[in-house]
Amino acid sequence: MKVLHYLNQFFAQIGGEDKAGQEVLFIPGAVGAGTVIENALKSRGVEYATLACGDNYFHEQEEKALRAINDALARFQPDFFLAGPAFNAGRYGLACAKVCSWVRDNHRIPAITAMHEDNPGTKEIGRHVFVIQTGASAASMQESLKRFVLLIEGLLSGDATAVENFRAEHCLLLPRRFTVKSDRPDYVRAVDLLLAKLKGEPYQSEIPRIEAKAHLIPNLAGGLKDATVALVTEGGLVPKGNPDRLESSRGSRYFKYAIEGREDLRRGEFEAMHTGYDTSMVNQDPDRIVPLDAMRVLEKAKKFSKLHDHYFVTTGTGAMPSKMEEIGAGIAAELAGSGVGAVILTAT
Amino acid sequence: MVLITCLSNVATQVGIGRILGGNKFHYPVGQPELPPEEELRWRVSLLEKGLSALETPVKEPKVF
Repeated sequence: MKVLHYLNQFFAQIGGEDKAGQEVLFIPGAVGAGTVIENALKSRGVEYATLACGDNYFHEQEEKALRAINDALARFQPDFFLAGPAFNAGRYGLACAKVCSWVRDNHRIPAITAMHEDNPGTKEIGRHVFVIQTGASAASMQESLKRFVLLIEGLLSGDATAVENFRAEHCLLLPRRFTVKSDRPDYVRAVDLLLAKLKGEPYQSEIPRIEAKAHLIPNLAGGLKDATVALVTEGGLVPKGNPDRLESSRGSRYFKYAIEGREDLRRGEFEAMHTGYDTSMVNQDPDRIVPLDAMRVLEKAKKFSKLHDHYFVTTGTGAMPSKMEEIGAGIAAELAGSGVGAVILTAT
Repeated sequence: MVLITCLSNVATQVGIGRILGGNKFHYPVGQPELPPEEELRWRVSLLEKGLSALETPVKEPKVF
């Protein structure tokens, strides 16, 4: 059995930041953390080799680095490819993710890496790559290495259930989009997927479904008579000219705009920045997305105490749910801090 | 919080507590085919429904 292990310059004991430009180096035998794995697998007659590469070199010369790694794979012919653990080291984690994904796609051997769930490398993990969960720092090194060994043994035993159990217990669950190569046009494939779904047959979408997390539904304490109500929208409505450069899709920020003293939102003073819907009707009358005129009527009729002096806005199209969660939490904190008791949120 | 949207099934799936059906996807609180005064009257009545939703205690997603 042959194992090839990718390490950065630091974990390969070549040097620190001063050696981050180290090009890909093939080292026969195990180095550093690799020696622990090699020892644990000794009874299985393991032949071990190490690839060392500088954190900067990989990212600056990715193509060259992958070519060198490819040459090493062709020469050494490993049965397993390992990378890391990278813990929460960003450049290292990204390199581990990219190398493993590339190796898995091009050489069809098991590729295993390990990192912390916040490592940006998790965003670059391809299909079928095992990503063992680690702590944020090298303090979890020993535990992580044990898990590499456990997984390799599981894969060697051919026990699919054990591998799946390991994956469920120790690997990061990373829903990722992937590319499907198909000889049929995309629209045929899309209809086939739909038909399979309708018939209850197995199918696999290349776009992962993101499960919504359960969250609390707050109820109003007391009545609206004493409550300040705020207007919030994901419809991208901003003052004409978009002074803060709100993104029209993949929004990463939110803004608040003053409505104090305004009775309604007039055409030409506000406009919608949003690629997810036809904004022409909203641009004709912005109250169609931020209903200020109606809220003023209800405020005067004392249906609630007061309308908050600002409305809040972001763009809810093409964005990552995790980013939207952050934006939502930011808006909620500002609203709660201003004494707002209830919110009306319009969404397209 | 009450969410005014035309995609109440999606809102229910993600667990929004109070959901109120808007008019159209690209103008949830608009009704451009009406004359302006009538559109405002319609919008006021929709928002009034929204306010009463806010005062209704809920434990799980509810479409008003």
